[in-house]
Amino acid sequence: MSTVTAPRPHAVDHVDVPDNYLTHSRGLLSWMLTLDHKRIGVMYMGAVLASFLVGGVFALLLRTELLTPGRTIVSADTYNQFFTLHGAIMVFLVIIPSIPAALGNFVLPIMLGAKDVAFPRLNLFSFWLWIAGAGFTLYSLAAGGFDTGWTFYTPYSTTTTTGGVIPVLTGVFILGFSSIFTGLNFIVTVHKLRPPGMTWFRMPLFLWALYSTAIIQVLATPVLAITLCLLIVERLLNIGIFNPSMGGDPVLYQHFFWFYSHPAVYIMIVPAMGIISELIAVHAHRQIFGYRFIAFSSVAIAMFSFIVWGHHMFTSGQSGLMSTIFSLISFSVAIPSAVKTFNWTMTLYKGTISLTAPMLYGLSFLFLFTIGGLTGIHLATLNTDVHLHDTYFVVAHFHYVMMGSALIAMIGGLHHWWPKMTGKMYDERLAIAGCIITFVGFNVTFFTQFMLGSQGMPRRYYDYQPEFQVYHVISTIGAYILGVGFLTTAVCFVQSLRSGARAPANPWGGRSLEWQCASPPPHDNFKTAPRVGDPYDFSMLQWNPAEKGYDVDPVREAAAFAAEARGEQARGHA
Amino acid sequence: MLSIASILIAQAAAPAATPADFWLPSGASNHVAGVDTMFHWINYICYFFFVLVVGMMVVFVWKYRAKEGSRIRLDGLTHHQGLELSWTIIPLLICIGIFFFGFRGFVDLTTPPKNSFDVNVTAYKWGWTFKYPNGAQADTLVVPAGRPVRLVMRSNDVLHSCFIPAFRVKKDLVPGRFTTLWFQCDVPTGLDEAKGYHLFCAEYCGTGHSNMNRKVLVLEQPEFDGWLTKQAAWLDEIPDEELYFKAGPKLYARCQQCHSLDGTAGLGPSWKGIWERVSNPTGSSAFTDGKSYADLIGPGKEYGTPEDYIRDSIYNPGKHLVAPYGNVMPTFKGQLNDRGVEAVIGMMKHLDEFDAKGAWTKSVPVATK
Repeated sequence: MSTVTAPRPHAVDHVDVPDNYLTHSRGLLSWMLTLDHKRIGVMYMGAVLASFLVGGVFALLLRTELLTPGRTIVSADTYNQFFTLHGAIMVFLVIIPSIPAALGNFVLPIMLGAKDVAFPRLNLFSFWLWIAGAGFTLYSLAAGGFDTGWTFYTPYSTTTTTGGVIPVLTGVFILGFSSIFTGLNFIVTVHKLRPPGMTWFRMPLFLWALYSTAIIQVLATPVLAITLCLLIVERLLNIGIFNPSMGGDPVLYQHFFWFYSHPAVYIMIVPAMGIISELIAVHAHRQIFGYRFIAFSSVAIAMFSFIVWGHHMFTSGQSGLMSTIFSLISFSVAIPSAVKTFNWTMTLYKGTISLTAPMLYGLSFLFLFTIGGLTGIHLATLNTDVHLHDTYFVVAHFHYVMMGSALIAMIGGLHHWWPKMTGKMYDERLAIAGCIITFVGFNVTFFTQFMLGSQGMPRRYYDYQPEFQVYHVISTIGAYILGVGFLTTAVCFVQSLRSGARAPANPWGGRSLEWQCASPPPHDNFKTAPRVGDPYDFSMLQWNPAEKGYDVDPVREAAAFAAEARGEQARGHA
Repeated sequence: MLSIASILIAQAAAPAATPADFWLPSGASNHVAGVDTMFHWINYICYFFFVLVVGMMVVFVWKYRAKEGSRIRLDGLTHHQGLELSWTIIPLLICIGIFFFGFRGFVDLTTPPKNSFDVNVTAYKWGWTFKYPNGAQADTLVVPAGRPVRLVMRSNDVLHSCFIPAFRVKKDLVPGRFTTLWFQCDVPTGLDEAKGYHLFCAEYCGTGHSNMNRKVLVLEQPEFDGWLTKQAAWLDEIPDEELYFKAGPKLYARCQQCHSLDGTAGLGPSWKGIWERVSNPTGSSAFTDGKSYADLIGPGKEYGTPEDYIRDSIYNPGKHLVAPYGNVMPTFKGQLNDRGVEAVIGMMKHLDEFDAKGAWTKSVPVATK
């Protein structure tokens, strides 16, 4: 035994890095077949960011084509394929999985103080389903591409001659199941794996958001699967379901499609709202304002999301009565969104606000989501929507919500949990520069499109009237700025991976459980069950200059727990 | 709020063309006042809430930013029932108000008066045909001024959408059902296309979607009546021997998106050499089902004459598909009468007299005058 005291060479390398999930096992297979939610989350993140790059390149090609009326760089058919691919990739491969499957997978179990999700094997299966779905989408390009728009409206989608329609429908069908399994996993995990002491109202708001999202994923996505199956059946077997020349009804397709795809909008935005609740509270070091209202508004949005789909169809030929009812119900979504926005703003009041990169993304979200949400009013209102429907006004509105809000929140969340995921800090100034350039580029690109649309420019146009050109040129310049912003952020992350300083366990001063384990977390997350406190009680935090992070003042923590125990006892006696 | 109501009520009164502003284009129909007022009022509400939220955000961030060595404040409110209720109830009331006025406007938008003048609209990939009660047809939408006009619309193939920004109207055209929209425009444009209002297709429909735009021309009633009478008879008024070069190019405008005249590849076969192909049918396979022209055309065959074949290709385009083209052409049955078909066939027979864009290049024979 005496020889063992001399350390072997490879052990010396890691002497100051404790064993963590990244070093726990090695080799490609240890990643591909991993059941560790953290590794699955990281793989999802890599795959989503790769898809984001592809979707973003298509966006830049589109904007370049639109610099001039008529042909600029590609033909009309190629343009139609580009905008279809941009939409389909960004919706199905990027935004829908980005927060729940990538960030959620990593963060949710640790926030719960759990070792993993409830069904780790199902989790791995859902990742590989995602890869299969993405594979089919990629294959559809080789099979002739598709030019249907990401909405696959019939009868165009069942009659177009492009060969990639059935492969991409199959791909989206499979991606749907990946999403359903993730949702199912999260619902069970939140119900069954909460540690002792974590009541529903002790959960961080991100978990409330992920839980609400999971409910929508499980309930709505099967409808998409059915719809896409029917579409494939019609296209392949010529059974008339949606095509009137075979006895079908194209408006029926729109009902089916939006019955999923409107809730899908909330699959994208609700988890983003959850991230923002974390970012703003943690970086303002301030008890979140109106916890219960924020939590319940997530659930309210999830429920309302199922009964507003008809507002996509005010001009579709559906009856005026239905349009009226859907308009009325659609306004109901505005209320929980407004409640959240005001609560976030009030959380800043009397906070101790650190203007870190994640906080700047949080503030960007507040700014952009306010615009995106308010312009929804124009579109929910019946008579103004008739003018604005299918114009660039709609394009601008949903980019403010889907990209300016959901994606910005995702990237903010990535900055927030990056030290936890990688164990590395990034260059804060470069990250802030990336955020500001992205913010400016985004507004130049998409605010212009509000005017473009309200002035009467329809969407999905390859060619346009000369009077619209000035708006298009400004918008394209904005898109290039946006590209530079994302590139800056990418450089920042790559630099961090190569030479970032070691991250402390709690660089921002968060109080939810993931900040109580090391960065990066060990394979099992927690050696001992963590103590669950109020996730937004920052009173016991103190800055530790040696760690360059925050730690807990044990005296004040003990006092807080004691006070709480007294409170519970008092309630118990009452 | 009162002013919205008064303007919505005043909508029935005759409107004039409104100038374009930062947000909305120039407007010229009865719907403009209602829609624009609504739009601007929603904007004012948005400005207010935007300034409120972003203003508070900026002030709080500036005032409560962490400074060197500052300690975490613990004196912030964590909840306030009154505030929560006020920002739940006030937005709710505002939303109900907006819904109500939007609904009033929508009722006006969707309820055409009984005395409206009907125009039948057919959309196809990628163009529009406008048909009038007296049988007249046009590719441009020409309507009378000062009178409610109702468009009764159908689609021949996929979804389209009729969007006239200056009139603030939009409605999808759905194959298999009729949809309608209505407007009244009091600002005449005359027959000058440059002065006409834009009519766009707003529902994505493929390759030519962005070029499916037409003009709306508004004529004073007497001028409109004259135009209508003349339009109904335009094909009949052209003498037989002038039909192919006078009517041909006009009709070809509907074909040119897919069929070139100079052999350029398109979505359908080029017309170059078409008459030679069908009048001297060869036995080599030319159709997607493997048949040749000689299999189809000739005495005792499916088509006795080449003219029969062309006519059926226009009326039943999917029946025999020239390889390698897909089944994408809409039928022109009911849109092109025998005389129209005759003009198109005549043009095919004399293609050497036309340039690549379909303009007739020979001079008009004087003898016919």
